[in-house]
Amino acid sequence: MRFFTSLGIIFYATVLIIIGAGLIIYSLNMFQPQQIGDFLIYLQSGLNTRLIVGLSGLLLILISFSFAQLILGRFQSEKTIAFTTPSGEVTVALTAVEDLIRRITSLLPEIRELRPDVIAGKKGIMVALRVILKSEANIPELTARLQELTKSKIQSALGIEEQINIRIHIAKIVTSEEKDKKRKSQQLETSDQQASLPYSGYGRL
Amino acid sequence: MHREESSLDLGTIKIHKNVIASIASLAATEIDGVKKIGKDFKMGLWELIGKKSYSSIKVLIDKNDEVRVELPLVVKYNYNVPEVANKVQENVRNALEKMTNLTVRNINVAVQGIEKDDTSGRHD
Repeated sequence: MRFFTSLGIIFYATVLIIIGAGLIIYSLNMFQPQQIGDFLIYLQSGLNTRLIVGLSGLLLILISFSFAQLILGRFQSEKTIAFTTPSGEVTVALTAVEDLIRRITSLLPEIRELRPDVIAGKKGIMVALRVILKSEANIPELTARLQELTKSKIQSALGIEEQINIRIHIAKIVTSEEKDKKRKSQQLETSDQQASLPYSGYGRL
Repeated sequence: MHREESSLDLGTIKIHKNVIASIASLAATEIDGVKKIGKDFKMGLWELIGKKSYSSIKVLIDKNDEVRVELPLVVKYNYNVPEVANKVQENVRNALEKMTNLTVRNINVAVQGIEKDDTSGRHD
């Protein structure tokens, strides 16, 4: 696998170097547009050259697809929590854990929005929560409850005993007045727009 | 695509990988707590062009005719993930062994997401 990765890196680096060098050469006036035109015409002139160009294009697309999949697969496989059972391996995507944490919002009415970010490392699971609260919430009490709830949910759902570190960042506190104001201003805007449109009440005959 | 083959006096029986994948899929979704079978990159591409028969379940058969199944899953909210995964592994193994007589080596479950159950109430 390492061989393919290094091959991919060399391939992409070579392609980028060739493009870069071509652009530099072109900017230095070493190539005339006529010469490039002649070369392109030559490539299109014979059946063999067209075949070679077409096949090279196809090969490049296939290579790029396989490398994209390799890279994406690698990223995907890194972002999991894994454990083995007698029947095989079970991997849980960290996005699944994030889904699980997001559901907690429904249990705590004081939370308006919750954005979790889960990282699994050697020291355990790191959970970063970005929270938007409603103004009536008691922050110390709520954050303690949220930490406790998140920890217990992860432990009960995944059955893991590793250390879970939960960091909470309160990004915003939204008041109910703010919401009302927004709603009112939106209503006013729409009514103004309706009023300012001349002949808006008339339909086309 | 590779097929699992067994010889009899009357001829050979070939079981397509898709059949193994279908059995695994049905056995997995039978388990309480499984929302659906997950998707992979290729399945998303096939769905984009309107083909929905592609399965994201990977079936690998090695030289000793042992089967390895890779099963992406979406689990329902409020269920214990290892417990559900374990039940899925057991059920898939039993179903495959019962229906195909194959030796199942590994059933690797990948939990891709957790979704709320829309059909029934909360499980506690």
